[in-house]
Amino acid sequence: MSGPIRLWVAVKHGVDVVLARADRSTGTVAMDRAPRKTSDFDRNAVEEAVRIREKLGGTVTALTVGPPTSKEALRDALALGADEAVLITDPARPDLDGRGVARALAAYARTHPGFDLWFFGEGSTDHFTGTIGPRVAAEIGAPSLSYARRVSVEDGAVLVEREYEHELEKVRAAFPAIITVGQEINQPRVPTFMSTLKASKKEIRSFGPSELGVQPSDWAPLARRDRVFVPEVNRKRQAVSGADPATTARGLVDALRREGVLP
Amino acid sequence: MSGETVLVFSEEAEAIPGLLAAARAAVGPGPGRVELAVLADGGGPAGSAVGGADRVYRLLLPENARHDPELVAVALRRAQEAANPRLTLVASTKRGRETAARLAGATDSAVSTGVASFALEPEGVRIRREVLSGNALGEEVLLGPRPIVAVMLGAPVPAVPPTTPPEIIDVPPPEGAGRIALVERTVKPAGGLRIEAAERIVSVGRGLRKKEDLSLIEELARAMGAVVGCTRPIAAEAGWLSDDHWIGLTGHRVKPRLYVAVGISGAVQHLVGMRESTVVVAINKDPNAPIFAQSDFTVTGDLYTVVPALVRALSGA
Ligand SMILES: Cc1cc2nc3c(=O)[nH]c(=O)nc-3n(C[C@H](O)[C@H](O)[C@H](O)COP(=O)(O)OP(=O)(O)OC[C@H]3O[C@@H](n4cnc5c(N)ncnc54)[C@H](O)[C@@H]3O)c2cc1C
Ligand SMILES: Cc1cc2nc3c(=O)[nH]c(=O)nc-3n(C[C@H](O)[C@H](O)[C@H](O)COP(=O)(O)OP(=O)(O)OC[C@H]3O[C@@H](n4cnc5c(N)ncnc54)[C@H](O)[C@@H]3O)c2cc1C
Repeated sequence: MSGPIRLWVAVKHGVDVVLARADRSTGTVAMDRAPRKTSDFDRNAVEEAVRIREKLGGTVTALTVGPPTSKEALRDALALGADEAVLITDPARPDLDGRGVARALAAYARTHPGFDLWFFGEGSTDHFTGTIGPRVAAEIGAPSLSYARRVSVEDGAVLVEREYEHELEKVRAAFPAIITVGQEINQPRVPTFMSTLKASKKEIRSFGPSELGVQPSDWAPLARRDRVFVPEVNRKRQAVSGADPATTARGLVDALRREGVLP
Repeated sequence: MSGETVLVFSEEAEAIPGLLAAARAAVGPGPGRVELAVLADGGGPAGSAVGGADRVYRLLLPENARHDPELVAVALRRAQEAANPRLTLVASTKRGRETAARLAGATDSAVSTGVASFALEPEGVRIRREVLSGNALGEEVLLGPRPIVAVMLGAPVPAVPPTTPPEIIDVPPPEGAGRIALVERTVKPAGGLRIEAAERIVSVGRGLRKKEDLSLIEELARAMGAVVGCTRPIAAEAGWLSDDHWIGLTGHRVKPRLYVAVGISGAVQHLVGMRESTVVVAINKDPNAPIFAQSDFTVTGDLYTVVPALVRALSGA
């Protein structure tokens, strides 16, 4: 490793899964009009990078791909302690699919070489394919260390403890490396009033396809979203109540026996 | 559609029979082919669980290479080039998603994960998957050549022994070493509980005040012939129950005949794990708890009185 450590974090300004609502008559969610929010695990990713910088020095750069409104996610990252912020945006295509997002991030990495560790969420809150980190790694030819639960920086390398369904692994890779994290890795700090205020004044650098040396077609989608809809749930929603707890309990037991779900 | 090939791959032997069955269903009867790539790194299924595969590619990797998704994806890409499949199908496990993503990056193809169902259509591969943290379903079409789908598998299906031995092709290992060194691998202690298979579940949330009070929940579970489940905070934050019991987006997906939610608010990330239960009961002191809208029978009250009363009612007292 030469010089201060350069930490990058990819943050997504995704759809707010709590506020997004389906249209009552069609049952579908208009994704392009839904409120947006910074993806949950991306806060953990920023926190991890900031903790490393606090220990070892260096810089933390937050990057997002999306329409100019995605700057919101960069402001969040800055308020959590990131030093710099980069927006990658294509006026012709405000929202890219996974291929486009990965290629846009890879194009930035190719034109701005020099990251040591690049953190991603292991899945986004709204779309959760968990593909962007390893896909970018494949695009730029870097190792991807996914599902990290603990990250220790060594001299020019990183040691990651990670978790699979049935196994735990400890793995090591030299810089530059891509790491994905989930919510277990840390408890992100809560931005303060001062850090939020400071974040709102920081410069956000903006790049489009031409500045990154790519043809817009390089980002063309390979997936088409046909619809997002809320499946019907038809629950009975019967309130069970009685004069006293014993009567209520008997009422419930009777109801469950009628349903045939008790042994 | 007919006459097409689906290439199946998994690092996990357990997933292969389910993937083969899903692939066969997708190509349909007739001239369609199902081909299988397996890891031959000393830990994979070697030729046994391959019933239903017309051809098997053995990806010869250095011993224990599955920790490096780059090596796995490079090897799988060679099998993909040989099979020239309409679709490459992997299991939506953590390793499967990682391999799928690296392969998609290397071949510049469409990929999706967590896929509930898929179909080969003339235009592309139509998929259905949960989106918005399980609040909704999304329907997408993966376009372009070599799409990759990581599919959610239910309970493992038994392996079918091959009727005729499939053709076996060895894929030589990639040149050069990987970029990730494995320092240590440990197998997690198996908790033994397979909550996915439970017929009845009594599940508890933060309405419970302390760990000792779990005995109340266990008693109710016993009286109902149920297994104890829980929300994320109970397993991940309080640590009162092991991860085996944790239900939801980041925990286990269950579909019992009876699900009793005790002191659970009904956050979307929890609901997605139990939505397919046949009958849902909610016990909560807050009549506005979101879980009530997702329940068949609701009891508004303090769990500390409702649960003991239920235990008594069940024991006929
Ligand atoms: C209106 C609309 C239509 C869309 N249509 C489609 C469609 O038809 N098909 C389709 O596949 N996708 C579509 N998308 C995009 C899709 O929702 C995802 O944003 C994209 O595919 C990224 O995948 P993911 O969210 O699953 O990422 P994951 O791989 O789950 O995310 C993991 C991590 O990657 C990083 N990351 C992800 N996205 C970004 C980003 N934009 N900027 C910076 N870092 C990021 C973050 O660190 C994140 O935690 C659409 C999006 C919108 C808003
Ligand atoms: C990315 C992500 C992934 C997640 N994954 C999961 C997951 O897989 N599974 C999961 O469960 N959660 C998950 N969560 C967390 C989820 O959002 C909720 O925080 C969690 O489900 C809440 O758990 P709870 O219902 O036990 O607690 P609370 O939301 O605190 O609810 C407690 C309930 O108990 C009731 N109550 C209190 N006292 C009593 C009493 N004496 N008698 C009766 N009722 C009482 C209250 O009215 C309240 O409704 C995830 C969150 C995120 C961000």
